[in-house]
Amino acid sequence: MNEATSDRLTAATAVRVFEAVDLRKEYDDGQVHALRGVDFCISEGEFVAVVGPSGCGKTTLLQMLGALDRPSAGSLCYRGKSLETMRDPAAYRSREIGFIFQAFHLLPTFTAVENVQIPMFESHRPRRNRKTHARELLQAVGLEKRMNHFPAKMSGGERQRVAIARSLANDPSVLLADEPTGNLDSESAHYILDLLTTLHAERKMTFVLVTHDLSIARRASRVIQMKDGRIVFDGDPPSEVSTP
Amino acid sequence: MTFSAVVARGLMRRPVRTGLTLVGISIGIAAVVALVGMSRGFVSSWTAGMKSRGTDIVIHNMRGSVTPKPFPAEARDRIAHLPGVAATCDILVELMSIEDSEMMIVSAREWGTYCWENLKLLAGRLPRDASERAVVLGKTAAETLRKQVGDTVQIETEELSVVGIADGGAVVENGSVILALPLLQEIMGSPDRINAIDVRVTSNMDEAGMNRLCAEFNRLIPEARAEAAGEHIRHSQGFRIINAMSWGTSSLAILVGVLGVMNTMLMTVFERKQEICILLALGWRRGRIVRMILWESALLGLLGGIVGVGLGTIGVHLLKNTAAIRGLLEPELSVKLMLMAVAIAIVVGVISGLYPAWRSSRLTPSAALQN
Repeated sequence: MNEATSDRLTAATAVRVFEAVDLRKEYDDGQVHALRGVDFCISEGEFVAVVGPSGCGKTTLLQMLGALDRPSAGSLCYRGKSLETMRDPAAYRSREIGFIFQAFHLLPTFTAVENVQIPMFESHRPRRNRKTHARELLQAVGLEKRMNHFPAKMSGGERQRVAIARSLANDPSVLLADEPTGNLDSESAHYILDLLTTLHAERKMTFVLVTHDLSIARRASRVIQMKDGRIVFDGDPPSEVSTP
Repeated sequence: MTFSAVVARGLMRRPVRTGLTLVGISIGIAAVVALVGMSRGFVSSWTAGMKSRGTDIVIHNMRGSVTPKPFPAEARDRIAHLPGVAATCDILVELMSIEDSEMMIVSAREWGTYCWENLKLLAGRLPRDASERAVVLGKTAAETLRKQVGDTVQIETEELSVVGIADGGAVVENGSVILALPLLQEIMGSPDRINAIDVRVTSNMDEAGMNRLCAEFNRLIPEARAEAAGEHIRHSQGFRIINAMSWGTSSLAILVGVLGVMNTMLMTVFERKQEICILLALGWRRGRIVRMILWESALLGLLGGIVGVGLGTIGVHLLKNTAAIRGLLEPELSVKLMLMAVAIAIVVGVISGLYPAWRSSRLTPSAALQN
């Protein structure tokens, strides 16, 4: 039994973090169908890669999981609670979710250590502890010597590491990453993927990674493959790189 | 890092635009400080002039016009005997161009009354009697006209000798050309006409007593109106026009400032649309986004207010020494006025930020994932 299969068996008995039933999302008054009835469960601690070509609905799915948008139909629950009827989605995003974006999206007028503190404004962490915590997170991603640098003075890989540290600012239980290596060279991409894999293992977080690259998806314990707004495959990652 | 640091950093994203907006709002606030300071200074300077002479009540006819209308000098005889009246002085005061000075106060006073007592001679003497064709210059008036004792000064077509230079204890007094009443009546071709009666009341009279006395004066002299010294300026048509113009001009300047700040903050929201979406995606509540925009615009207002008060103060000091204003008034730049101006600037900032803040609150966090 390989490691991925073992993880899958463990996940089957673990707490369900996300549960989607017939999840649909339409845009432009129903003319665009981004999600066409998606069903899945994601359990605590799983590392799930959502793969598929551009426009298949994987980013829309990530938006639903992060409560950045509401589904048009169907249901999506987080730990048994409906995300559509959630009263305070901002609090959910702040306390439960860490986001990593393809384009990093660091604030240009703030240094690395300040960028990491941005999500902490909505946390219960005392103000005096914020900077210390941000420094610890930057150390964890290997940026202890770049803490006071502005994003413009950092490489793409360094910026993404700051973004990863920022995503961990409020100790979320779920990490959502949208093409986190999409804007990086191969060396930086490997470093970032190793870092994310390590963080997932160390922190026991649920990790959902959106990518169009199956070689990246192989690092996950489970792959959800999408096409035209539907899930066409949900299972162990492929052992060899191939075009989905 | 504090929330205020986030707010300040937001303004520093576009330092040139922030600076230009600051200039816009500070000009509006400078206009408030300068114009309102000048108009208030007009009242306080004239009030101080009255107080320096020891005048408690002024009987005048300034309500319907910019300058006081004349009325018969005999009106004084109707009230001089009343209990509570310690002394009276018939006055004829005009604002007129004298030689090179475009506007100067010419203050003709009944000879031998208390209104001459406050003049402390710095040089020369007072006129010998009411018939001497002479004037005393307040010290500022002497400087403005560049006159010394022994020179002559031309009022209308008359050449009068400068016999003394005096310190009257107030800006208006020091900026005046002072002469005996009959002389100016003759020059103006208005014998037996005056446009004010200064009244000094008995020393033990309280405010209620003064009000009763004013009511009695108003009954006996229906063609004029009695008011406490200073109030007559505040209630005059001239002051009301000046005050209205000051606030009108200031309001226009402030409106320009509002539009400037609103434009800046709207541009900020448009430019930072994705940044705001990122903040929402990172868990910031909409209320915090709205607060951030409002605090930024309020901070812009505060800074504009502080700079504006500084500019206004400098402007007023430059204005008060111009030939047209020198000796007429001392601008009133009180701490209260400055705080009010800064408060106006902050309110302007907040009001200007309301619409941009509302726009920012309508952004959706999903845009953060649209690269």
